[in-house]
Amino acid sequence: MVPEKIHIRVAIFGILALLVFSVLLGRLWFLQVLAGEKYAKLAEENRIRLVAVDAPRGTIYDRKGNVLVENRPSPAISVDPSIVKDKRDVLSQLAEVLGVSIHEIEEKLKEKKDPLKPVIVKKNVDEGTLAYIKEHQSEFPGVDIQIESVRDYPRGNLAAHILGYLGDISEEELKKEEYKHHSLGDFIGKTGVERQYESVLRGGKGGRQVEVDATGRPLRVLSKKDPVPGYNLTLTIDADIQQAAEEALAAAIETAHRHGHKDAAAGAVVVMDPRNGELLALASHPSYDPRLFKGGVSSKEWALLNDPSSHFPLNNRAIMCSYPPGSTFKPITAMAGMAEHLVSPRSAFKCTGRWTRFGERWAKSCWKRSGHGGIDLIRGIIHSCDVVFYEIGYMLHKTQEKFQEWSRRFGFGTLTGIDLPSEAKGRVPDKAWKRERYKNNPRYRIWLPGDTVNIAIGQGDLLVTPLQMANAYAAIANGGILYKPHVAKALLTPEGRVSYEFKPQELGKLELPPGIIGATQIALKRVVSQGTASGAFAGFPVPVAGKTGTAQVFGKDDFAWFACYAPADDPRYVAVVLVEQGGHGGSTAAPAARRILSHIFNVPLPGPVDVIDVSR
Amino acid sequence: MDLVKLVRRVDFILILAVIALLCYGTLMVYSATYPQEAQDPYYYLKRQITWVILGILVAVTISCLDYNWLRPYTTPIYILNIILLASVSFVGRSTLGAQRWIPIGFFLFQPSEFAKAMLIITLSAFLASRRGEITSAKDLSLAFAHIALPLILIFKQPDLGTALVLAAILMGMLLVAGTSLRNYVIIIAIGILICFLIIHFNLLKDYQMKRLIVYLNPDIDPLGAGYHLLQSKIAIGSGGFFGKGLFSGSQTNLRFVPAHHTDFIFAVIGEELGFLGAAILLGLYSVIIARGIRIATTARNLFGTLMAIGVVSMWLFQILVNVGMNLGIMPITGIPLPFISYGGSSMITNLIATGLLLNIYARRFK
Repeated sequence: MVPEKIHIRVAIFGILALLVFSVLLGRLWFLQVLAGEKYAKLAEENRIRLVAVDAPRGTIYDRKGNVLVENRPSPAISVDPSIVKDKRDVLSQLAEVLGVSIHEIEEKLKEKKDPLKPVIVKKNVDEGTLAYIKEHQSEFPGVDIQIESVRDYPRGNLAAHILGYLGDISEEELKKEEYKHHSLGDFIGKTGVERQYESVLRGGKGGRQVEVDATGRPLRVLSKKDPVPGYNLTLTIDADIQQAAEEALAAAIETAHRHGHKDAAAGAVVVMDPRNGELLALASHPSYDPRLFKGGVSSKEWALLNDPSSHFPLNNRAIMCSYPPGSTFKPITAMAGMAEHLVSPRSAFKCTGRWTRFGERWAKSCWKRSGHGGIDLIRGIIHSCDVVFYEIGYMLHKTQEKFQEWSRRFGFGTLTGIDLPSEAKGRVPDKAWKRERYKNNPRYRIWLPGDTVNIAIGQGDLLVTPLQMANAYAAIANGGILYKPHVAKALLTPEGRVSYEFKPQELGKLELPPGIIGATQIALKRVVSQGTASGAFAGFPVPVAGKTGTAQVFGKDDFAWFACYAPADDPRYVAVVLVEQGGHGGSTAAPAARRILSHIFNVPLPGPVDVIDVSR
Repeated sequence: MDLVKLVRRVDFILILAVIALLCYGTLMVYSATYPQEAQDPYYYLKRQITWVILGILVAVTISCLDYNWLRPYTTPIYILNIILLASVSFVGRSTLGAQRWIPIGFFLFQPSEFAKAMLIITLSAFLASRRGEITSAKDLSLAFAHIALPLILIFKQPDLGTALVLAAILMGMLLVAGTSLRNYVIIIAIGILICFLIIHFNLLKDYQMKRLIVYLNPDIDPLGAGYHLLQSKIAIGSGGFFGKGLFSGSQTNLRFVPAHHTDFIFAVIGEELGFLGAAILLGLYSVIIARGIRIATTARNLFGTLMAIGVVSMWLFQILVNVGMNLGIMPITGIPLPFISYGGSSMITNLIATGLLLNIYARRFK
């Protein structure tokens, strides 16, 4: 028989067993009943993977329906990190075949958080490489070919600055509300129209809910949501005028070189419709090839694009850069003077080539050293006489900054609101600005009469963008309405139906007596027929009204300007040309404007005649 | 033998509980394995049923003999045990980095499983011969020496789980066999010291070490060593109270939970049948444990008591460690769930153990 005390010991055993079952049951209750919901969610996430399907991005057309940007299927190479993870030899061989560094591939693999999702390591892969990988597939486990849709540019570099380019979304961008539906690895518009109209061009991503097993192998599709294609976008740009503008700009830079302005390398052109603010062309030189960005721009190319020696081709100088306007600003000064009843079109001035109202020590000169003699305001504009505008500036200085106020009414010193990113404001300097600017230097803080006089001829601290200039001349041309410039004309559904039209928007009316604008229009017309631009427009059959400008920039060659509209009596086109360090407006910028207008009005170009104009 | 006598000799409760467990286990093995593609969906089911039938036959045979008849044969059984365990290193088949199996026909024979049953018999005989007084250091050392050789052989395979089961069996039996509380505490202290030494001198395999680390913090390596633990917890947790339904465990069937028909079959139960199903399983286990303890107290002699306690210790420890690791409260060690996990050696061993219990119960009268 079993000894008695063994019963006690067996009882201890029973208690132990009870303890074991209590612990297990308690834990079970906690996992399944108390935390069950949390684990159910985890299980779903484990089992179901969302595979995003990118929507086809909208096509971009010019105003006549020419395709500017479209999509093209392009092969890309992807790597499945769950398979290739530790196979460095596969990666290094792949890097060699693709012509990228293994480091670059590894970085891309690291970026993605989902260890089971294939990562695209190289986009836009050429046929030869594809064929090689297909033939040697067994050597590249986990490496796959994916067909992606990439942007294609049937007109090459044309309008690159307007269109903009796409790039990988950055971590910072992902944090923004605007990109809340994006994920790392997405391509988004970085500049230009692609950036501005990103939300409508991109469409809605589709997705597939795929059930996967533990290795991430898809088993079946649980549900599917088709992507919603992006809207197509019609621009106000006319591809042919754009082309003419770009060619004219390049030609103007060449002309400048021929005239000895060796540093001329950059410039901008704006062509707009003064009746509604539609931009017909927007050119910036130098330009870049948007195709560079198709597969993600390489660091080498990026460095080149941002090297000072390449003159920053990514900048859209028509809207992003501001310059002293030189004499193209004189009509604004004239109108401000007339509006403040300080001068009339027939007011008489006397130009001796020197202006000494601040004393001999502070004498200023006219560009024409011999002087214009007795001259009225209209002729002052026609011949761009500096003395006339020094005088008006001097008068305007006493008007409590009315001059600055008028300048701003013409749209200077403020954003035009164009539907393109990164627009510059320019600058209309005044007392407050100067006080702020020189707050650490009391000697320079006071606004002096000379400051206003400088602005009067478009110099000093005044800065304007070519777009602002075009907008101001459009207001002169149309009798005083300032429109909001825009490049988008209509949104089309993927089927081609117009879904939204971008209507002209008025920014404001100038409220100038009609006589004042009329007199200015007459003066501008004569600038072209008999004044500083007559050389450039000799024999041009369509009446053109405009103004040359030669802005002086400290330490640099003069900046050449020409702003005009045509036909002078029924303005349909405003054109502004700027060439950085291009010399005189009459000899460099005005001939470029003529080339553009020649194209628009179908006028044959004159032979290679160099126009020499020395006015400012 | 008349009918009344027969009924009094048979522990119907234990038999019913074991049969319920066998049905439960077979069903779950089927649920866990039927979606195996490119293979017979009934492959695992058919084999498991074969083991069950074979095991039942063995159990019935064992329960019919008088266990006291085994006593003179303890030395040959012990030697057979050692030979079988040692032979693994010569004719053994390596799977998953461990050499635990000897192929016999279509069956992979796993000596370490049978070693548990054989050790229970031989150790019971040894301890019973000391008449319930294991106090001297010599007796204790002999008891330890008794399990040391098989334990080391199993540890070397490596099969840490089964080695621990052997240790648990010894501890359970020593508790009942008459070790003083003081000695018992000393033994546990020495055991803990040995564990530390094993870790300190790096006698564990890398993967075992990793499992130990992720046990302490499963989020360290969620896709590596911590994967089993995390996935099993997710599977069980997502089952909720009523479960996702038989054959509908997405976690287990999509193989997020590995070894889901063997060591992690409890996760399948937890996911598909929920708290209800898992609690029923634990209930059935508590029935066989309770019956085992009852049989231990009613046994005719100390040999029978100790054998019953050995069986109960084995089951209790395996249930604790296996269910515990499925629930994420025990480190991962390869220990099958009695009567439920897929596998022939384990199934037959557990049915041998059942046969021993029935035998002891039947012969509780003088």
